[in-house]
Amino acid sequence: MIALIRFTSATMLHSQRYLAPALLFMTAVGVSSSNDSGPLAPIYGLCAGALFVCATWFTIALISVEDPAHRAITIVSARHSGRVLLASVIVAVISCLILTVVGVVLPLLVGTHTVEAADLALGVESGLTGAFAGIAIGLLCSRLVIRRQGYALIAALGLVMAALLVRGLPPVNVLLRLLANATNSADLLGTAGGLRAISAAILAVSALATQFITTRDN
Amino acid sequence: MVGANGSGKSTLLRVLAGLSRPTRGTVSGRPQVIGYVPDRFPPNERLSAMEYLTHLGRIRGLRTSVAAARADQLLDRLALVGGKHSPLRTLSRGNAQKVALAQALLVAPQLLVLDEPWSGLDASAHGTLAGIIAEVAGAGGAVVFADHHETISASDPYVIDGGQLSRRATVTEGKPTTEVVLTDLGGRRLPEVDWHAVGGVLEVTSQAETITIRVTRERADAVLRTALQHGWSVTRLGPIAERTR
Repeated sequence: MIALIRFTSATMLHSQRYLAPALLFMTAVGVSSSNDSGPLAPIYGLCAGALFVCATWFTIALISVEDPAHRAITIVSARHSGRVLLASVIVAVISCLILTVVGVVLPLLVGTHTVEAADLALGVESGLTGAFAGIAIGLLCSRLVIRRQGYALIAALGLVMAALLVRGLPPVNVLLRLLANATNSADLLGTAGGLRAISAAILAVSALATQFITTRDN
Repeated sequence: MVGANGSGKSTLLRVLAGLSRPTRGTVSGRPQVIGYVPDRFPPNERLSAMEYLTHLGRIRGLRTSVAAARADQLLDRLALVGGKHSPLRTLSRGNAQKVALAQALLVAPQLLVLDEPWSGLDASAHGTLAGIIAEVAGAGGAVVFADHHETISASDPYVIDGGQLSRRATVTEGKPTTEVVLTDLGGRRLPEVDWHAVGGVLEVTSQAETITIRVTRERADAVLRTALQHGWSVTRLGPIAERTR
């Protein structure tokens, strides 16, 4: 599995398709947190929203970077398509973990805040919630499930907008609304943890569904 | 295995390699180590040939140094032109095909599946490929390869046509051949007949309620007799030009 993760990472890094979503995320975090001196929770909410969108984009790019013929060779070499998909998910999660750290640290560098451990924990929880949900949507809108890129883009936009805007829809909309006006991070840690668990469960279901659809259609 | 474009060769090879599932039936006895070369290998990777092969060798369980040495050896043998350390995307189609072939041989395959492996390869690589196929088969591995040209020199090729796989007899050169077209006129779902058991049958293809049988002329009467006994109606009968292989 380590060899597969290394190969997937190398393919992604060489393709440079990670750059656009990564730059979008950095820009969003930088703009939303510069010269801010208020509570950190609303800023981390914005970071989680940005990470959600970028994780979707990143995952679609990650899956699409490998041509179907190359992917077929990788699957035969790895002996199971599920292992190749799992490697892609792990690379997406590792990449989003890095962005999550950036999203937690960058606001501290460009703004003036009083930082507590609970703030940092809330930043990580909310970042991971957005990341897991974004990867889940990215998998379902990848070439493995939707072969036509135009349809995949429309589906991704629709799902992302729905997750962001439909009032009360967990985990992303609930998280963003929760953090928007929060002042005490420690009070929200439990709820954020629950939303992160929901997001992780959605990612697991999405990965299983992607694997099922991929093997059924081949 | 030979067949026309769209006859299902690639699909069958993908089923053999474990990439596709059969619509009906099951696949059993698939070996652990399979080498697969697809019909097209777009060289759009930024990784170099060596990096790509080393990664795939590691995925197959080799240590990095062993995978790199094996990749180097295979690329030398296949006479890769364009640079082992140049990005794959800069290689010509033929040289990319050599990389595709090399990845299938990183670990000695128990089953080697090649989809039109000769396309894009130069004449000297044809001989190398034939040697590789012979080596894999000599080591006890199975080799399945396909081409849409009827120029495959395998001694006993299969023919795929209309979703049907049939074995082509080996000795047809110089022998007159007859084509018999049979129809189930009443759509009565006639019982299946083992046409090859009649003898002299070279190819059987079926479509809807029609069966086309290619048979050596001396066995044509036996085929007709069998067909009529089983209720088939003869729609067309005649000699066909000998096809060269």
